[in-house]
Parts: sequence; C-alpha cells; structure tokens
Amino acid sequence: MANNIMNWIDERFPLTSFVKHDLTDYPTPRNLSYWWNFGFLAGIVLVLQLITGIFLAMHYKADVAMSFDSIQHIMRDVNYGWLLRYMHATGASAFFFVIFTHMARTLYYGSYRAPRELLWWTGQGLLLLLMATAFMGYLLPWGQMSFWGATVITNLFKATPFIGDQVVIWLRGDYTVGDATLTRFFALHYLMPFVIVGAVVIHLVALHSVKSSNPSGIDLAAKDNIPFHPYFTIKDLYGLGIFLIVYSVFVFFMPNSLMEPANNIPANPMVTPNHIVPEWYFLPFYAILRSVPNMVGGVIAMGLSVMLFAFMPFLDRSRIPGGARYRPFYRLQFYLFLIDMVLLGWVGYVHPTDQTILIGQVATFVYFASFFFVPMISKMEESWLIKRGLPAEVMVLIDSEANEIAKKQLKKNQRNGVQS
Amino acid sequence: MNVFLKVALLCSLSVYAWGSEEKLDKVVVEKDLPSIERGAEALMNSCHSCHSLKYIKYRDLIAFGISKQKVDGWRGEQPLDTPLMAQMSEADAEQAFSTKPPDLSLMTKARDGDENYLYSYLLAYYTTAEGVVSNHIFPTTKMPDPLGMSGSPDAAQHAVIEGQARDIVSFLSWAADPHEAERLQLGKYIIGYLLVLTALFYLVKKQIWARLK
Ligand code: HEC
Repeated sequence: MANNIMNWIDERFPLTSFVKHDLTDYPTPRNLSYWWNFGFLAGIVLVLQLITGIFLAMHYKADVAMSFDSIQHIMRDVNYGWLLRYMHATGASAFFFVIFTHMARTLYYGSYRAPRELLWWTGQGLLLLLMATAFMGYLLPWGQMSFWGATVITNLFKATPFIGDQVVIWLRGDYTVGDATLTRFFALHYLMPFVIVGAVVIHLVALHSVKSSNPSGIDLAAKDNIPFHPYFTIKDLYGLGIFLIVYSVFVFFMPNSLMEPANNIPANPMVTPNHIVPEWYFLPFYAILRSVPNMVGGVIAMGLSVMLFAFMPFLDRSRIPGGARYRPFYRLQFYLFLIDMVLLGWVGYVHPTDQTILIGQVATFVYFASFFFVPMISKMEESWLIKRGLPAEVMVLIDSEANEIAKKQLKKNQRNGVQS
Repeated sequence: MNVFLKVALLCSLSVYAWGSEEKLDKVVVEKDLPSIERGAEALMNSCHSCHSLKYIKYRDLIAFGISKQKVDGWRGEQPLDTPLMAQMSEADAEQAFSTKPPDLSLMTKARDGDENYLYSYLLAYYTTAEGVVSNHIFPTTKMPDPLGMSGSPDAAQHAVIEGQARDIVSFLSWAADPHEAERLQLGKYIIGYLLVLTALFYLVKKQIWARLK
C-alpha cells in the first residue's frame, strides 16, 4: 500500500529521488568537525523564531498606545506567554551567535573559496536580512531603547546623497519614529522571516551543488564521503542537544541578561536615555559608525564593515586550500580579527570617552586593515609556504586546480577563436 | 579548549559584567510569601499614595497567596480586577512634584543595577549640613524620602528601615516578574530532560559512527 502510494507520487513528483539525493544519501565529508554543526543550528533557530513569533503576534498589538502594555499582557496573562517572549528574545541573540560562528568557521577554513563563492554570497544576503529583521523586531516592544535605537539608526539614512531627508521620512512614515513606523516595522518583521526561508532554500541549493567544504580543504575522494543519514543526522541532533541546553539556561535562568533595563520603560520621545546602545550583535558595527567623526563617513564605514566579508573570495589570493589550517599568517590574522571584533563590541557598549573613541578608531583601522592586507599577505604567505614545503596532497590539489583553470582558459580561447 | 570558544565565552562574560557600573548596596531579594506579603503591606503604606502598579491587579495578589483580608482592606469598594493605581491623581502628583511618579510594576528591571538600584536609592536619603534632604544615588530626585532615612535614625530604626526596603524590593521584584518561580522550576525540568536526551544522542552517535572504522 505505502509502496503504491510512493510509486504514484514518484511518477508525478521526484519525491524519493529528492529525499535520496538531498537528504539521506547526500554525500558529506566524513572529517567535518563540530564547527560544521552551525548551519543546521541556524535552520533550527529560524524555525524556533518563526513559531514563537507567530504565537506572539496573536497577542501583540502594534500601536504606540498599546504595544508596551500588550507585551506585559503576554508576560503576565497569556498562558506561557513569558516563555514565548523569552524564547523569542533570546532566540534573536542565539541566531546571531550561531550565524557569527557559522561565518567564523567559513572564514577560518576558507570555505568561501572557489567554487563556493555563490554559497558565501547568499549567506551574506542572509546576514543582511537577519540584521534588518532583528532591527525591526527590536522596535516592537516600544520601550525607550526600542524607540531611540530606531530613531538613531533610521536617522543614518540622512547620509543618502541628495534625498537623505526624504528617505528618512519615507522609512519612518512620519517626521519622527511613531505609530506609522511601528506598524510598518511590524508588518515587515512578520514578512522578512519568510523571505529568509526562501533565501535559505537558495543557500541550500547552492550548497548541494558544490557540496560541503571540509577542514582539510582538500577535495576528498569519493570513499571519504559518507551519506548524510544516519551519520550527520545523529551528529546534528547531538549538537542540537548541546545548543538547546545553553539556550535553555538563558531562557529560563537569565532571560533578562541580554535585555537593556531602559527597554522596560515605555518609549518617551521627550526623554533621551543617557546611553543609547544597540543589542550586542550590532555593537562592533555601531562602534565603527561612531569611530568616524563624520556622519556620512561613519555610515559608509559601517556599511562596508558588514559587506567586506563578501569580497573575501577576491581578497584571499592564496592557492593553498584549507584556510587557516596550513597557513600560520592567515590563522594569526583570523584570531587578531576576532579579538578586534570583541574590542569593537566593548567600545560600542561603553559610554564614549576620549580614550574609548581613540581605542575604537584604532580598532576600526585594524578591522579594515585586516581585509585590505589579505591580498598581499596571502600571496606572500603562499610563496613562503611553498618554498618551505607543504604536504604532498596539498600540492597535488594546488596543481590540479591550476590545471583546471588552464583548461578552462584554453577552452574559452578556442571558443573565441572559432567565433571570430 | 579551542581558542575560538574561549574568545566567544570571554565576549559573552564581559557583556554580562558591563551592566553593573555604579557602586550600589547589594540586596538579598527574598522569594518567600511572608517577605513579599510584608513588602506589599509596606508598599501600600509608604508608596501607593504616589505610585501605581498598573500591571498588578488586586486579584493577582490574592492568587499569589497574600491574605484576602488584607487585600480587601486595601481595595475597599474597588472590584478585584482593578489595577493598583496610585491614590493621588497623575495631575495632582505632577503639580506637587513637577514630575510624574513612575509606575513601579517593572521598576526592578528598569534601572541599571536592577533590585540593588532600588534598594540603594531608598536608603540613600540623608540630611545635608544645611538641613536639606538629599539622595546619594539620585541627588536631584523629586521624591520625598518615603522611609525616613533622612531623619537620622538610630541603629535600631535603621535596621527596621533596611528591612522595610528589602521587603519592598522583594515585593516589587515579584511584581516585575510574577512567573519567575514557575520559570525556574520548569527550567530545571527542561534542562534535566535535555541533558538525558543529549547524552542519549551522544551514545547513539558514537555507536553509529563506530560502523565507519
Ligand atoms: C510623596 C509621593 C511619593 C511617595 C510616597 C513615594 N514616591 Fe517614589 N517617586 C515620587 C516621585 C515624584 C518620583 C519621581 C522622582 C524624580 O524623577 O525626580 C518618584 C520616583 C521613584 C522611583 C524612580 C527613581 C528613578 O531612578 O527614577 C522609584 C524607584 C520610587 N520612586 C520608589 C518608591 C518607593 C519604593 C516608595 C515607597 C517606599 C516611593 N517611591 C514612595 C514620589 C513618591
């Protein structure tokens, strides 16, 4: 019976072959470390956010006169409303933590290299969508930090050439952040996660066409690939268990640790909090914004600081695979970059003084320098390492990649020759 | 441990530590019913005239376990579902203090320092050499000293006031997060369950991966 139904479906829709090709038999490198668990975790957090968000939306009211109260209604009167809300608020932080780790893994192991550039760029698009969604969601509780954060950030669009003032009004729907802003942010905050789901599908299609990279960076022989199921289903479940434990510690035992006290005060356009800070996941970028004395310059620097990751496939000119694994300088650069990020986060959090502004400027310089020196350092490091000697299989891969490129070039030349 | 993980941990820890900058007295927030009931009583006597707790209804107090008799005394003729609004109207308060006394429902979560801030603020009243009442924590505050710290209390009175402040803070801490006890209880079960589940996943994972060797 079940077989008959499956046959009936398969004649009309490639269900069995899809499940085989993309789930159960999907070939996966056996040497993936636990750093490769974070993509799956990001998918889970997305689903958690969608579910808790939809239930929250059933009780939330997007109206400046009611939204703060409606959050308290959720926290106090709705059955397990506090759980929904704490899961959703903590989930936002968890999402960024998971995505940042996922990105750090990609950078460390050089997973952005050819042929995975499109995979990396779809990921970059997902990061932007996630940031926009989180930013708009933060306005919804209509606390002091919600209001002033949205005011400060929408105000940055004044930097748009010629039509800056109009853009700001267009974004807010009013001259100041108000009811029009709240309702549109709510509408978009509900919409964007579904756009993200679509973008995730594209990300996965790209992944399944180029397949996972792996810690060695070397393309593995077929025998080193194992089917996704059961090996990685169980490994992902184990990772999920660990993740959920950490997540639950935050949700149940310290849910307020990631919330600003000022956001428990209803928004008041007449009173500016003495210290406006974004959520922790925006702090490094916020620090870069504040480090540039000129507003337009700051906005450009902040935008660049997020977008520069997309250029990594071009910036990294080393032909040595495996990212930091065989490359001591790149490894050093990677850790310096992480420390710099943390430093920037701290600068973004504290009340600015002359000293922290200076530290922020140095850290901003180091941030951009980390990217701009990648082409030079990667090339120099490559020739130094090749002179010093690399493992044979790495050299083989470099040669075979060079061959492939030469072959492609030849084909292209021939084609052009025929055409002209 | 991986350097990577260490940096991430350091980052999250420091975020946590940045919160408490000022030097505040630490208060032990009581979670038991008698303390919270005493706090409710002190609040009704000393704070309710000016401050509201608009997210708490009289019914919530009874549901939590505070004696019905006391609650009935406080609410008088008002229905059980009335929120605890201030006795003084907002307009009168604004006229008297030229500012609105804030709602206290979320006060223990609305200032840097949380409960410690509230406790320190209430006890920080003193009389200057010129005979003016002031406050160490919030020098420009328009709130008159509600507990009498500025009246140079002797040691015994001092202890009574401290106890009152602690009870009030405990009550307000409950009011800001009435589901906290339930949350902590549920959290223990959930984490216990996840620990068992994760251990099982780990064992199954080991077994499945053993097939590869
Ligand atoms: C006579 C009226 C009155 C009484 C009684 C009163 N308050 Fe206030 N309270 C005020 C006013 C007015 C303010 C606003 C102070 C300001 O912003 O300068 C205030 C502010 C506060 C604040 C906020 C301080 C801040 O950081 O902004 C807290 C907390 C507070 N009161 C707690 C209490 C507690 C607890 C009690 C009872 C022990 C109490 N109040 C009794 C009038 C009163």
